[in-house]
Amino acid sequence: MVIRTYDQELEYIERLTDYSFRIKKGFQPNMKVEGVFYVNKHLEPLMFEELRNSCRSDGIGGFLPGMKQIANVAALDGIVGKSVGLPDIHSGYGFAIGNMAAFDMNNPLSIVSPGGVGFDINCGVRLLRTNLMEKDVKPVQEQLAQSLFDHIPVGVGSKGIIPMNARDLEEALEMGMDWSLREGYVWAEDKEHCEEYGRMLNADPSKVSLRAKKRGLPQLGTLGAGNHYAEIQVVDEIYDKWAASKMGIEETGQVCIMIHSGSRGFGHQVATDALVEMEKAMKRDKIETNDRQLACARIQSPEGQNYLKAMAAAANFAWVNRSSMTFLTRQAFAKQFNTTPDDLDMHVIYDVSHNIAKIENHVIDGKEMKLLVHRKGSTRAFPPHHPLIPVDYQLTGQPVLVGGTMGTCSYILTGTEKALSETFGSTCHGAGRALSRAKSRRNIDYMDILEQMKTKDIAIRVASPKLVMEEAPESYKNVTDVVDTCHKAGISKNCVKLRPIAVIKG
Amino acid sequence: MLCLHFGNHILYENADLDHTADVQLHSWGDDLKEAFEQVGMAMFGYMTELDTVEIKEKHEIEAQSEDLDGLLFRFLDELLFLFSAEDFIIPKKLIITNFNTETFYIKCSCYGETFDLSKHPQGTEVKAITYSAMQIVQNPNPNQNQNKVDIFVIIDI
Repeated sequence: MVIRTYDQELEYIERLTDYSFRIKKGFQPNMKVEGVFYVNKHLEPLMFEELRNSCRSDGIGGFLPGMKQIANVAALDGIVGKSVGLPDIHSGYGFAIGNMAAFDMNNPLSIVSPGGVGFDINCGVRLLRTNLMEKDVKPVQEQLAQSLFDHIPVGVGSKGIIPMNARDLEEALEMGMDWSLREGYVWAEDKEHCEEYGRMLNADPSKVSLRAKKRGLPQLGTLGAGNHYAEIQVVDEIYDKWAASKMGIEETGQVCIMIHSGSRGFGHQVATDALVEMEKAMKRDKIETNDRQLACARIQSPEGQNYLKAMAAAANFAWVNRSSMTFLTRQAFAKQFNTTPDDLDMHVIYDVSHNIAKIENHVIDGKEMKLLVHRKGSTRAFPPHHPLIPVDYQLTGQPVLVGGTMGTCSYILTGTEKALSETFGSTCHGAGRALSRAKSRRNIDYMDILEQMKTKDIAIRVASPKLVMEEAPESYKNVTDVVDTCHKAGISKNCVKLRPIAVIKG
Repeated sequence: MLCLHFGNHILYENADLDHTADVQLHSWGDDLKEAFEQVGMAMFGYMTELDTVEIKEKHEIEAQSEDLDGLLFRFLDELLFLFSAEDFIIPKKLIITNFNTETFYIKCSCYGETFDLSKHPQGTEVKAITYSAMQIVQNPNPNQNQNKVDIFVIIDI
């Protein structure tokens, strides 16, 4: 490995626009394409600071800076276009979180990487609307928060309350939200407003280990811990009135519910199993990568195919999981307001996947290509008229749901043509960590955080209050900077800003 | 990066290694066996407060791999599974009864009880064990500032 000084490293980084930088070939060995990343003037120093620190360190520590990780991904076999870093990028396992990359399906050397999807397969965000206004909810804010907390199992060691046996699980893995619909947990129109209609057709539960199924079974319909949450939010600002109205959002003060969760222990085990399998396949097929954490396999190899089928099953698990919590949320609201979810107009606005790999067609240099698009901590952002988005959003572009952090705002954006041409139709997914968990623990007191929530008049229910400082807003990049960068760079368009009035966390 | 240090069950954080992702476990001991047992307990220490756990039952786990790093990975993955699936065991004590460093095999007795939300405070969830920056450092003749064995593992949370 070449050791360069910070100044030498900077020669490979070039400003492209006010909101983006190019990473030239040579920054890391064997780069097949260039890298690009999006930042504004607030996020920019964070990216460069990370690189500067890595030049100083003596190689201790597990993770490379985001820029290096983007470049290592650019060196993987079969990558096309460029390796893209979104504004919420922070370094992760192999791929950075907030990194997307696409691989040519027709190139026999192309790879699929579980690290490019993440441990929490099909982690995503779902947004429900209601016809309630802030003034309807405020008087019962605490009761409603408690009710949601009582209905939705949260935190480590909690178990799902939706009755499930091993056979139900097999069916759910294969059918995704069609299973939820058959069992009566969701409405038919919910499916319309999910990516892939809530079901990946290539899911094959027989490619999933018994271990993953055993971890998954008790956890179906649970929120999880860490950065996962359910929030009651109110519409704070509407930037695009017309697009918002297509989503059923009419005015500020309207109440929505956001659910951020994934495929739980099931997906984590699918990813773990695949990483172990792929280490062997890499030796056999002589696949070389810059970073040992970038475990991958040729898409066409048995390991690659098995992973894609197991990943699809995990994706289905995640949709069933979010659907089960949708059911519980509707129950909690209906009980509180002594009415039905139907009368509360509790429709799913949209459901996005921000840890996933999908086969999509994209036009590269005027030629249509079939690609395997990895989005890790990145949300699909397809423009108006794209065939893969539901009829209700054909004119607005796909809704993009960006969750903030505890007590901060969340956003609805819409997809753009520019995203399709620049980033394979991808944009940011959230705030992205800025501080380590250790630093958060050292510098922030959990009582202060709970006090802060109180001051902002946010009801909060947490399973492990002593860990809330790890998820404190101070530990994250500013989500407003993140979505503004995407808006200014044109890879998504601001539509609605939401602010939380109740937070439920693990 | 948050580091949980588990020597003689002392838990504290290390300021040297800071990273935005995940948690690093650091354990040590007089031999591999002790350091392995301790790193297992470090992981469980992140999930709940171990003082609240009682020894009520015993479960055996086995792990096998092709090298020592692989064995550490498999060992922790087995322990995570013990907690995450049916019987949902949170151990208070681990005793490795068989540690073969030639065939890379471990048999371990786990003493604890079923995780109970009404009894055990919720810490956080461990998603997965990783090979990232995994280190097993052995000093047969350590000076007074060194341990005989140190283990570093990053877990994804």
